[in-house]
Amino acid sequence: MNAPRDTQLNEIEEEDIEKAATAAEDGFDHLIHAPARLRICATLDPVREIEFSALLTLLDLSKSALSKHISALVDAGYVTQRRAVRDTRQRVWLRLTATGRSAYRGHVAALHRIVGHI
Amino acid sequence: METPGSIDVTEAAAALTVVRRSRARVAWSGYPAWYWLASGTGLGVGAGGTLLPDWWGMVIAAAVVVALIRVAVAASRARGVCEGWVRGAMTWRDGLVLYGPAAVVILATAVVSRSVSWSPWLPVLAAVLVFLLFTIAGLTLSARAARQ
Repeated sequence: MNAPRDTQLNEIEEEDIEKAATAAEDGFDHLIHAPARLRICATLDPVREIEFSALLTLLDLSKSALSKHISALVDAGYVTQRRAVRDTRQRVWLRLTATGRSAYRGHVAALHRIVGHI
Repeated sequence: METPGSIDVTEAAAALTVVRRSRARVAWSGYPAWYWLASGTGLGVGAGGTLLPDWWGMVIAAAVVVALIRVAVAASRARGVCEGWVRGAMTWRDGLVLYGPAAVVILATAVVSRSVSWSPWLPVLAAVLVFLLFTIAGLTLSARAARQ
């Protein structure tokens, strides 16, 4: 059942990371623009932090696909992870960093400019 | 239209739709039903309590605020989503849909209570209406977001 979801793993390419490192001056961010990562950032932006399992449910992705996308965002400095134990189980909380939030909002503004809303 | 990011208007519009849907989903999804029932009860009791004579209104309002904060924290843990106190995932429009009808009832009953002699039925009516409006709106919108 997870096989179609796992095809999203292919979206994560080294090239994406390199492009993100040199985000376009207009705010368009190639790392964030990948569909799954755009959904991750759009989900993380309005909240303070979110638990990995809650994000998994909200996005309906496989665990491995979500982990890969999160790793890409962490490597770019856009997301941080915090581990906390609750009910004897370790849980991972994720949040956008200031850099990540700024990059995401810049990307959304760039999308609005392309569509012509701004 | 070729863009600096090499995407066209259609793709950008689709991406913005994804952004809106993701935000709506995190704003409404994952709430346990007891959150809406408990919050609706709290708001209802608070709305009715403010119409009580003397200092009862103040005491009830204070107790309700404490209870609502505890419910919100518990729901946040159950959802696995921490929204913070200052800003949340709901847009102002979402907030208007959720709290608007209950706020109208609270204001209307407050106005009525000043213009007519006090009746014990007025706080009860306000409490029931606020509970129903808030709880039904919350449960409905939450269920709709989960389906999307």
